[in-house]
Formats: sequence, structure tokens, C-alpha cells
Amino acid sequence: MAEQKSKKVKAIDETLISHQVLQVPFNYSAGPVASRFLIALRDEKKIFGIRCPQCKVVYLPPRGNCGKCLSALDEWVELKGRGKIQSFTKVNYQESTHPSHPEQFILAVIKLDGADTGLTHMVGEAGEDELEVGTLVEPVFREYRKGNILDIKYFRPIKKGRA
Amino acid sequence: MGEQEKTGVELLDISSPANFPYDYSCGKIGSFFFKALRDQQKFYGRKCSECGKVYIPPRPVCGPCYAPTNEWVEVGPQGVLECFTVVHFSFLDPMTGKKRPVPYGYGLIKLDRADSRIQHFLSESDASRLKVGMRMEAVFNEEREGKLSDIKWFKPVE
Repeated sequence: MAEQKSKKVKAIDETLISHQVLQVPFNYSAGPVASRFLIALRDEKKIFGIRCPQCKVVYLPPRGNCGKCLSALDEWVELKGRGKIQSFTKVNYQESTHPSHPEQFILAVIKLDGADTGLTHMVGEAGEDELEVGTLVEPVFREYRKGNILDIKYFRPIKKGRA
Repeated sequence: MGEQEKTGVELLDISSPANFPYDYSCGKIGSFFFKALRDQQKFYGRKCSECGKVYIPPRPVCGPCYAPTNEWVEVGPQGVLECFTVVHFSFLDPMTGKKRPVPYGYGLIKLDRADSRIQHFLSESDASRLKVGMRMEAVFNEEREGKLSDIKWFKPVE
């Protein structure tokens, strides 16, 4: 065993960085309302909102109770799928809590025709300078869908002639 | 258009695992300690300028005295097992983001000449072969990066 030694503090030339990874596994039950919404995305490529019987607000994503009058909601409304950008931003950084996608992407609040609330999703096939508030967009579905909001790959602008 | 005939829907689980990588600077004191592990396979504690208590892992200020520590003291690499457990429940290790295979031993070791303890893995995962008070020594990894996991584990001294 080494003898007891002591050293005077010296200037440190190299400061070490500790890299750590906290991994947080997280699952939750989507519940009956969101499950039904997601199953329609997955199996039929359809987007459903839900209408309040009392105040007639159509919620997207659908929810079990009306936020305004607390009524139980069960009147499903199939939406056409197309809608308008209400607001958007370009995200210029990547981090591990984002769903997997490129380093830069456009995030938008989209109000689909027939819905009264905006859905937050990504916009693809367009740069931010091609978009404005009010741009008409449509969903692009993934080929393999898992019952997840990312079964919609993104929304893209409706080009003239395609609409 | 209302559509209400669908009932008894399948319930989905949403899975959204997240990684939270984070980095922190080990500072002057921590860097010295980890570099000694990496480059010399030695442990250094910090000694309080007032009460003389030797801290490992090293710290810049003594807890009870509030006095700065001002001296490096080589401690270990042998020590005494002060308490231990055998882990049977696997969980995510924040150092790696992965689960360590169970069962494994984990203990508090008081290194020779140190006044505080360090926690680390033990080579032994059979509790009947571990005993409080037994002599332990550090086993270092061949490849070392300057972190606590440069120590593979502590094993009983033959």
C-alpha cells in the first residue's frame, strides 16, 4: 500500500466534462376518446373531431369533455382533412425529446375545416418563406401507421391544381 | 356529420420515451480526482484545512467546518466494506442510459486514510459471500475515460 502523500493544489490544465444520459421511459393510456381518434388515423386515414352538443364547438384533437361547458362529448365529426395555417415557426435545433425528424422543421398550428380548435403538427414539403398565416394545407399520412399522431407525417401546402 | 355507431374501441397505449442527455463540468477538484483515476489508477481525497477530515469523493469545502479543503491525500486503493446490498431490481443507470443486468452487489466502501465513503459496484452478487468489515480493493477498467465508472467494481481482498 502506498504511503500517505499529500500534494499542493496545482493549476488544472484540463477540466473534465461528465456526460450522462437520463433515459425516461414513458407510456400512457390514450383512453377511449383519443384511442378512437388515433385508430381512425391508423386504419382509415381519417381525421375526426368531436362536437359539443351544447356549445357546438368541434374539438381537434378530440376530448372527452367540453372545456367551456363541461358537457360529455360523443358526437364524432369527420373532418375533410384540409385546413389553414393559423401560426407557424421554424425549429432550428434538434433535441432528444423531439419526435425523430430532421435538424430543422416547421411546427404549425393548423385549423382544419370543420374544427374550431387548432391542431399542432409539422409542415413539410415547403420552406418557411413559402408559408403564411392562412396557407391551405393537407395531411400526408405515413405508409406504416401505428396509432400515433405521427401517423400523419406532416401537413403540406395544397398546390394549385392539386386542390 | 355525426357518426356514433363505433363502440367498444380498442384502447391504445402511447409510448414516448425520452433521452435527457446532460453534461456538467467536474470543476478543478473533480477533474483532478478523475484524472488521477484515469491516468494513475489512484484515489485522491481532499483534506479539510481545519478538522483534517479527508473527503472522497473530494469536495472543495468541509461540511461541518465550512473551511476550504486545501490538500490532496492519496487514499485506498484498499478499504473496508461498511455496508452493502444486492440489487435485484433493474433500473436505468443515468451514467449509461441502460439497465445493468441484475443481480449485482453495491456497497459503501471506506478507503484507507479516507474519512468518508464511496459507493460502487461489488464483484460479488452473492450476499452470503459479503460481510460488513471485509477488506475490499478497487478493480480498474483497462480503458479509462476519467469517470467513476473507470472503476469496474470493488472486490474482496484475497
